[in-house]
Amino acid sequence: MSWLLRRNMLPLHSNSLARRPFASPLPLPPASLPSPRETHIWYVVPDELKDASLLYQYMELLSPCERQSVLRMNGERLQKGALLARALVRTTLARYTDGRLSPKSFKFQKNRFGKPEVEWDKYDLWAPPPLQFNISHTSTMIACGVTLDLPIGIDIEEKQRKTSNNILSLAHRYFSPVEVAYLKTLADPECRQSEFIRLWTLKEAYVKALGRGFSGTPFKDFTIRLEASNSKQVTGELKSDAPSIVVEAVDDPGILMNRWQFALFELNNSHYTAVCMERDVKNPADGENNSLKLEVWRTLPFVEDECVTETDAVKNIIR
Amino acid sequence: MAAVSATSIRFGSTFRTASWSSNQTGGRISNVKLVSMGISKRILPSLRSPHFHICCAAKPETVEKVCEVVKKQLALKDEIVLTPDSKFSALGADSLDTVEIVMGLEEQFGITVEEDNSQNITTIQEAADLIEKLVQQKAEA
Repeated sequence: MSWLLRRNMLPLHSNSLARRPFASPLPLPPASLPSPRETHIWYVVPDELKDASLLYQYMELLSPCERQSVLRMNGERLQKGALLARALVRTTLARYTDGRLSPKSFKFQKNRFGKPEVEWDKYDLWAPPPLQFNISHTSTMIACGVTLDLPIGIDIEEKQRKTSNNILSLAHRYFSPVEVAYLKTLADPECRQSEFIRLWTLKEAYVKALGRGFSGTPFKDFTIRLEASNSKQVTGELKSDAPSIVVEAVDDPGILMNRWQFALFELNNSHYTAVCMERDVKNPADGENNSLKLEVWRTLPFVEDECVTETDAVKNIIR
Repeated sequence: MAAVSATSIRFGSTFRTASWSSNQTGGRISNVKLVSMGISKRILPSLRSPHFHICCAAKPETVEKVCEVVKKQLALKDEIVLTPDSKFSALGADSLDTVEIVMGLEEQFGITVEEDNSQNITTIQEAADLIEKLVQQKAEA
């Protein structure tokens, strides 16, 4: 943490030194567990962190191994981002344990393909909730998605992200033929740019949900697209549902992989966000509504949490 | 550390007689640079590559070109120092950055990187090594 000292971010006044780094963090408000079709998303905006002593509090939560990884990042900005990401994962998961587990106590392991997951201890009188999580970051936002016992993938990209290479070159190289054809129908370059980014986040979220890595689930082998829903009959009236996001194997077009459901939306007016979650077959939905539900919070751990689900911070949702 | 330097000197002398002998002046200077720069570090941990040969280590010019492509793609400020061992992930590269870097390198060097090869590139040095291998394969084809 010498960079904190070098850059004069460490508070020099003796009272503030006495007050902050050794003060115990405010307890995290507990959160209710996600329901079977729900993804909870907690996101942090690094630029909102103005208090350097918070970085100390976050650093305290990390394992020695995580601390080393943070310090291996090249430069202060990347180190701060890496630190926030770990702090976000730990504090988010802790919220769902009803105060029984502190953020610091979590242990993590990787599945055989390298996907991070929680390593739960065995407790005598309490079964920890089988939480699954996934994170994504850009330099301006870090997001953590949580589900109850269902594989999840999340990806965020800045809406303004520009690619160095031509969109169609990238698409030809990495996307499926159906996806390339779709992008080609978009004449407006800006529209094509944003659709490329949105499709990228969906494909990333799917790969991350599967947990087999980029090489285990090559982008070219699957298509993500909108499927028009059939009109449904509800109480005698014809009701057509909005199109839904589906995934199919390139080798097996028309056979939709219904196991996976998606949501695509804009977060904080700055990021396209895609979530992919396994459908819960143990708890089949009654009636029409079996689409992925979202609950979203903006957070600065130990400082403030704000539920933004029904606000302007979460908009243009496609499922 | 003494053992490592001894190894590096040994490999260094082998370099002088290996495939770079055609590039007489440049070769000798680059040998010295590589030996002091970090080639000694690379010799030991290359467990990932069962086919590790001395002649697969990339020229400094290739490493430099890779650095340029990476710096540009990740919009790295000049004060960020890139070394051959710099990991893309530690530079803040996400998966879209990585594929863009691969495409940028393909364009620079006139090569095509197979999907499974691109997953093995995690550092600047690995990218440079793969590029030289592909350039050589292309020349031989």
